[in-house]
Amino acid sequence: MLDHLGEKLIARVSIGDFVVRFDLITIIMSWIVIAILVGLAFYLRRGLRQNIEEKPNRIQAVLDALIDVLQEQLLSNFISTSLARRMFPFISTLFLFVLVSNWLSVIPYLQSPTQNLNVTASLALLVFFTSHLLALRRKGGRRFLKGFIEPYPFMLPINLVSELAKPVSHGFRLFGNIFGGTLLITVVSAMIPLVLPVGLTIFFGLFIGLIQAFVFAVLAVAYINLAVES
Amino acid sequence: MLEEAQGVVAQISGEDIAAAARYLAAGLCMGIGAIGPGIGQGIAAAHALDGIARQPEMEGALFRTMIIGQAVAESTGIYSLVVAIVLLFVV
Repeated sequence: MLDHLGEKLIARVSIGDFVVRFDLITIIMSWIVIAILVGLAFYLRRGLRQNIEEKPNRIQAVLDALIDVLQEQLLSNFISTSLARRMFPFISTLFLFVLVSNWLSVIPYLQSPTQNLNVTASLALLVFFTSHLLALRRKGGRRFLKGFIEPYPFMLPINLVSELAKPVSHGFRLFGNIFGGTLLITVVSAMIPLVLPVGLTIFFGLFIGLIQAFVFAVLAVAYINLAVES
Repeated sequence: MLEEAQGVVAQISGEDIAAAARYLAAGLCMGIGAIGPGIGQGIAAAHALDGIARQPEMEGALFRTMIIGQAVAESTGIYSLVVAIVLLFVV
């Protein structure tokens, strides 16, 4: 009954001896998410061409509300306003991408790209490198490297491990939540195919998806804060 | 009768025992691994409720911080889920 679990459509591209494997479904679903976000952006942008004095139309009002919510919930966690202003596009894009990815699994025949570990790990690595490059630029090489031997030089291994554990737990948290939810829905649907899977899909797809997207973005903010200030 | 029993024993191969151990280990891993995050998230929610009862106007900030704390406390549970999934489907 559950024999199809774990089946994947893998494309192999060999460059010389090196074989690159692509999970086609994940790539297609990621492109669907990107298409939804870019399409929405282009569609909603048409509603913005008007004077400031005019009464805002509906699209303008919705966008204002969205930006307000994002700024209030995400940006208020940053340590400085200049940093918040600069990182707002990155963090909100991260949030919207993860949110639309998580919500995609509600539509039949579509999968969340975030139920693939490669997607979440690459997003977490993106945050990791962003935070450390930002810290390097803000603090300069000496102070950046000095941050690893504080408070005492013999703490260096502990500091390194704690830094490297951040992207790992960041990626695994999103993957585990989304994949665990999908797995539970699949197993329960195989046992009880009526009514119950609908409620589970709404709970795991919409509610947990929203919470996890929010948590992912807020943790990205927290990691950037920690790297920049410490 | 003894011969029959011996026949049954002979049919159980090492792979069967390994599969049984995998399923048992996955169940134990998930069950024991869920204790810690459960207690931790409960404590976080209880204290957030205390805070909201004391200062209802701080509800938004408290809820946000509670969600973040719970998500961090949850990571050990997620690790045990990953280990259980690896035990079931990969090993």
